[in-house]
Amino acid sequence: MAGTEEMIDELSGLALFADLARPELAGVVHTLDEEWYPDGQRILREGLSGTGFYVLLEGEVSVRLGEQEVARLRRGAYFGEAAILLGELPGADVVAVGRVRVVNLAGPALKDFLMRHPNVMFRILQEQTRRLRGAIQWRR
Amino acid sequence: MEALTERPFPPGDYPLVVVGSGPGGLQASYSLRRLGIDHALITADDSPGGMFRRFPFFQRLLSWTKPYAPVPRDSRAYGRYDWNSLIGEEPAHRSIQPELMDGTSEFPSRPEMEAQLAEFVRRTALPIRYGCRWEATRRDGDRFVLQTSDGEYRCGLVVFAVGVAEPFTPEMAGREHVVHYVDTRDAASYAGKRLFIIGKQNSGFELASGLLHWASRIVLASPRPAKLSVETNSLAGIRARYVQPIEDRFMGGGVFILNAAIEGVERDGDAFRVRTRATDGGADLAVEADEVIAATGFVAPLRDLPALGVATFGQSRLPAQTPYWESATVPGIYFAGTINMGAPGLKKNGVGGTGAVQGTRYNAQLLAREIAERHFGIVAPRPRLAPADVVDYLLEEATDAPELWNQKGYLSRAVLFDGDGPYDEGIVPVQAFVDGSGADGVAMTLEGDAEGVVRPVAYVRRRGAISELSLDPDPLNEFRASADARAHLTAGLTELLP
Amino acid sequence: MTSAQKAASLARVGLFAGLPPASLDALAELAGEVAFEDGDPIVIQGQVGTGLFVVVSGAARVVHGGQELARLGPGEFLGELAVIDRQPRMASAFAMGPTTCLALASWDLFRRLDADPDLVHSLLRGLTARLRHLSEHHSH
Repeated sequence: MAGTEEMIDELSGLALFADLARPELAGVVHTLDEEWYPDGQRILREGLSGTGFYVLLEGEVSVRLGEQEVARLRRGAYFGEAAILLGELPGADVVAVGRVRVVNLAGPALKDFLMRHPNVMFRILQEQTRRLRGAIQWRR
Repeated sequence: MEALTERPFPPGDYPLVVVGSGPGGLQASYSLRRLGIDHALITADDSPGGMFRRFPFFQRLLSWTKPYAPVPRDSRAYGRYDWNSLIGEEPAHRSIQPELMDGTSEFPSRPEMEAQLAEFVRRTALPIRYGCRWEATRRDGDRFVLQTSDGEYRCGLVVFAVGVAEPFTPEMAGREHVVHYVDTRDAASYAGKRLFIIGKQNSGFELASGLLHWASRIVLASPRPAKLSVETNSLAGIRARYVQPIEDRFMGGGVFILNAAIEGVERDGDAFRVRTRATDGGADLAVEADEVIAATGFVAPLRDLPALGVATFGQSRLPAQTPYWESATVPGIYFAGTINMGAPGLKKNGVGGTGAVQGTRYNAQLLAREIAERHFGIVAPRPRLAPADVVDYLLEEATDAPELWNQKGYLSRAVLFDGDGPYDEGIVPVQAFVDGSGADGVAMTLEGDAEGVVRPVAYVRRRGAISELSLDPDPLNEFRASADARAHLTAGLTELLP
Repeated sequence: MTSAQKAASLARVGLFAGLPPASLDALAELAGEVAFEDGDPIVIQGQVGTGLFVVVSGAARVVHGGQELARLGPGEFLGELAVIDRQPRMASAFAMGPTTCLALASWDLFRRLDADPDLVHSLLRGLTARLRHLSEHHSH
């Protein structure tokens, strides 16, 4: 496929995939779909089912509750995981800010992907821990 | 005699130019012509058919045309059972494919498909300028200028229906020893050979299936495991027809399937050695083969369009498109046919729009309608609906509409509301409806859920906010007759239909 | 403590809520009892967080900047995020009277996670649920 080596290089630069050797990364590249979004396009829509898992490659996205931005995500960040892991609907819109490139995996394929690439799953575990710490500030 | 007539569409000024004479270009041009839009249709080929002039090599098409179906052959609903004929607006233009099949299979052969497209051109008297190769593109004020082998075409709008059939072989050590799928020869010439096929998507399995009878050994390799369409409950993955090599591998018949990246290919006397690196924890191997074939896919032949500003993405370098198949970055450039894969839609549960004829022909028809409205002021009628009929109408569409069935969660039947009540907005791309800010209304589509079960889904738009209403599946997909579906949908529309 | 008692203790920890009994038993095998005298430090603010502690008997005072912030009794826990991310302790905790705790070290948890991707997935779901719950509260 065109651009496989470039995509492998691109993913290898992201923390999420930092533990993967190149052959495993090649498998990941073939499993994920690259997508492109123009400025202002919704990538995830609050309340709509059947959503997927996304990793941001280029550009920024705004996480919005109504008109209110609650978070801004940048290269290397993932989103869409909560709806899939919890079997719920997305709680917010995620909107492209400027042009955005992501890699995407269908919701039903996520668990299998994480099991096949446990290093990636562990990185997500660490990141969720970090996000939770940030959200609760200090708790026991 | 055709030879005596002038070739149509000499270089010059046109409101619109369609480039390409495969199913996408033919359907777009036919639909534009029916709407009275003056345009040129040019192609580098010397006959119609696009990719079907060459592919597939072996087997039949993966898209069916069933001679016997539950609905009449010239009905709109027959499009669910005939994935190959272009959409004609007169009876003589419709459902041509079943007339041209030899009756031995519900899948046309490649020549039968090519013949159908040629017959469509003949019956519709669709003018096409053959042998006119698009070479370069530039802008001149608000016009596009297409440089072709016959000269320059200047136009306000372009529809590129150029397919995704430019062969691509990835960089690797020893790439010069690898032959691409497009250069596959007659099957008998592979008799007794040990083959190494790089790539485990449909083209790789098509080759393996077609050469199973001839090759002494077949190794298929790619970094990730093959997924089967029967597992994904969609068209994504290896189609059922090509599963034979997988079965052969279980039985030890000489097929081997590796999850591996290719490190390199070297000459080894008269043969080759392919070095692989496993991606699934297996052993790294060096495999001997008489021929190494790259079934590694294709890219869209966009020439200098990226330099003009057309954004592309993905391993096939697809142009990024709006829900109405316009370039997301260069207004006025539109796309039809396989290349519509650059507008995958909402991709609910991973299922997006198809690149195959059964879907893209409806896209092209809609594209023509949209271009006519947006650029030429030709507005399609929006018939009124009696409020009491709205629910039944939507359920009828969910039961029968080929636009809804052939691409799940991609196209919808939309009913909007104005001061005088409901009207039929027509077939609307789901993404356009869901992200649009138009009038209140409802868009009915069909989607596969996370388990692959098909159900009708209605998107209700009320004061700009969208809600999703998923109806129950029906074992025979007879949603029109389902009291539950009627009750559920009626309840979901009470704000629109008090 | 018996293995079953340890598993029951660990089950009280928010992070492990919803884990299947077999996973809890496996973690229980790795957890150890630690006894503290009155006034002994259990964790010290600023030190690398090496694991989590569940109070089994007795009590602990949680102190930050000279102020007592909370008192933990039997069944309550601290350091559940530290066991994953080893962030420095945000507060100190001291035993009140003779106190016994169940301690699970992060390196023991990690060894278990390496062997058990399902456990990682369960933890991931649990953390994600907590995050989502918190975001909903924050959105008002």
